Amino acid sequence: MSRIELRQVSKRWGDVTAVEPTDLVIEDGEFVAILGPSGCGKSTTLFMLAGIYVPSEGEIRFDKAVVNEVEARDRNVGIVFQSYALYPHMTVRDNILFPLRFKKIPQHEAQFRATAAAALVRVEELLERKPGQLSGGQQQRVALARALVKEPQLLLLDEPLSNLDASLRMTMRSEIRALQRKLGVTTILVTHDQIEATTMADRVICMSKGRIEQIGSADDLYHRPDSLFVASFIGSPPINRIEGRAEGGRFLAGTIALPLRGAAAGDVVLGVRPEALRLGEGDLSAMVTDIEPHGREAIYHLTTPLGELRALEAGATPRFAVGARLPVAIASSLVFDRISGRRVAGATLEAGI
Amino acid sequence: METRAFASTSPQRPDWQALADKARSRRRATNAFLYTVLILGSLPIVVPYLWLFTVAFSGRAGASTTVLWLTLAILMPALLGWLGLRASIEDPRRLRHAEWLLAAATLAALAAVTGPHLHADNWRFLWISDIANRLKGETGTGGRYPSVWTAFGNSLFIALVQMTLVVAVSTFAGYYLSRFEFRGRASYLRGLLILHAFPAMTLIIPIFLLTYWVGLLDTLTGVILVVVALELPFAIFVMKGFFDAVPWDIEMSGMVDGASRRQAFFMLLLPQVKVGMLAVAVFAFLRGWEEYVFVRTLLFQKSNWTMSLYLFFMSEDVMGTDYAMVSAIGVFYVLPSIVLYALSQKYLTQMTIGGIKG
Repeated sequence: MSRIELRQVSKRWGDVTAVEPTDLVIEDGEFVAILGPSGCGKSTTLFMLAGIYVPSEGEIRFDKAVVNEVEARDRNVGIVFQSYALYPHMTVRDNILFPLRFKKIPQHEAQFRATAAAALVRVEELLERKPGQLSGGQQQRVALARALVKEPQLLLLDEPLSNLDASLRMTMRSEIRALQRKLGVTTILVTHDQIEATTMADRVICMSKGRIEQIGSADDLYHRPDSLFVASFIGSPPINRIEGRAEGGRFLAGTIALPLRGAAAGDVVLGVRPEALRLGEGDLSAMVTDIEPHGREAIYHLTTPLGELRALEAGATPRFAVGARLPVAIASSLVFDRISGRRVAGATLEAGI
Repeated sequence: METRAFASTSPQRPDWQALADKARSRRRATNAFLYTVLILGSLPIVVPYLWLFTVAFSGRAGASTTVLWLTLAILMPALLGWLGLRASIEDPRRLRHAEWLLAAATLAALAAVTGPHLHADNWRFLWISDIANRLKGETGTGGRYPSVWTAFGNSLFIALVQMTLVVAVSTFAGYYLSRFEFRGRASYLRGLLILHAFPAMTLIIPIFLLTYWVGLLDTLTGVILVVVALELPFAIFVMKGFFDAVPWDIEMSGMVDGASRRQAFFMLLLPQVKVGMLAVAVFAFLRGWEEYVFVRTLLFQKSNWTMSLYLFFMSEDVMGTDYAMVSAIGVFYVLPSIVLYALSQKYLTQMTIGGIKG
């Protein structure tokens, strides 16, 4: 277990900057997720922590010690790859034993620890099989056991669940979470799946284009996003974006003017979560162009004077039909500066518009 | 309700039974056609080998074809009978029984008809070591004719050493080309392909001079180095393909698990490209075993002869050639290749060049 610190760490490949200079502290025993679209530098960051890539600049510290030049094999880090990277020619037992081969551990103790690691992820029945004879979920567990068997000070998970089917993913999510709590190992999960990040991690680091956009809890990212990027990336269906101007306490878009609170001015983007649109109330006129019933909820596609909006309403049967005209109210909203993409703190539409 | 009414009033209700019969007979006709084409196509390849074998075991001083025709007279009806069995019996167990019966009957017929013709006389070159000198006389340059075992040993030496070198160098080179970025990598790869396209024959005079200058003319080492150099481009390309097919994750994972780069290579990567190494090894061995052009040009002393030279000089028509014995030598020459293929074909059929395993 250890405390991980990044100080101005960056990675460049020739002219391409994969990770901009980044500062980050991960506390001992914490479970952190790095969330972002593909190409945002999250895997590069992970591989720098693993010791596979050497940072171009900055310092990586494990418990205060700078480890930039320490090779991967000496960092005592466990890693689970998206492909699991099990060694196909070895049995499950040999796969789990592999990391222990390089430590001076007596044979019987190594066997004991391998069996214990297998039991931890419930694959003790499969020890004599080859990876090719396992299902995706079983391979995933074996990869976890192999990462954990050397009792790493840092566990790295690179998109570990993306090759599993939906129901298995849910099971493994809670299993990995429980395992991490039990072992207390500092864990970093890299994912592009917001549900994975927000459900598993204590803190979510949202990255974009090699930069950290925001660090916070699921609640912070969803309700108090720092930027339009975070607001758009988190949430499904995505937040509605309405471009307009803030002027004299009003939000102007097309022919519509809405009363605005807070210090916003100039070109802004109004962000409205789909569930913040109240159907059948207020005085914004809308027409239903499509309905996606999801069973527990329905998503409405609306044409309004503010543009095409998506609204989400709980309930098994949609209350309105395609083609229906109805009033819509905006219960809550966020205001972003259009140039910088930053959120204007405190700015929002007057409640109940 | 509506669809049912529609179906019952439809005048053309399909006759499923008739359609199924038609499909079945069409499938049979297609199979019969395919088998016929394949058998006819492979006859010109199979018959010469069969001839070589029959003459090696039955010919007397000349290349008589009697036994070949007798053998074919039995094998062809047996083959047709087998096709008939396959087409007519559908139960797999009964089919297997029938096949065993047919095989036994064929063997018995072969033993009865060709048995009296068989003898081992043509194989006397194996135990009479100076048979070449007896047949050809002590003529020509380069000393006495070697025994077949000397030639066999030389061929084996060339093939094995050459194979080891090719496998070792192409494995390391393929790994490096697959995993490392370095200046000139693309042109290096292009160069490999061009080298492979180059006909070796065009190089024969420069190679002769080169081996002379470095003092390797008339040595097995010289031949080995030349053949290795010519084999390598293609072998490197094949091995690079196999390494390309192994995901990087495996190495990265191994290195995070505590292995050094070299350990990851030997413990994790090599086992994944075993099939490729085997393929390269088999082809390199066969190339060395069959080598004729360079042993003919670069070796002079008869004690350096390989099997291909031995076969060539034994079949050379000086004072009337014993073709029956030449056939036996030919069979003896081809045996190691057949054994090698039989042992490795299980693995070789799993691969295609380029490393995409099926």
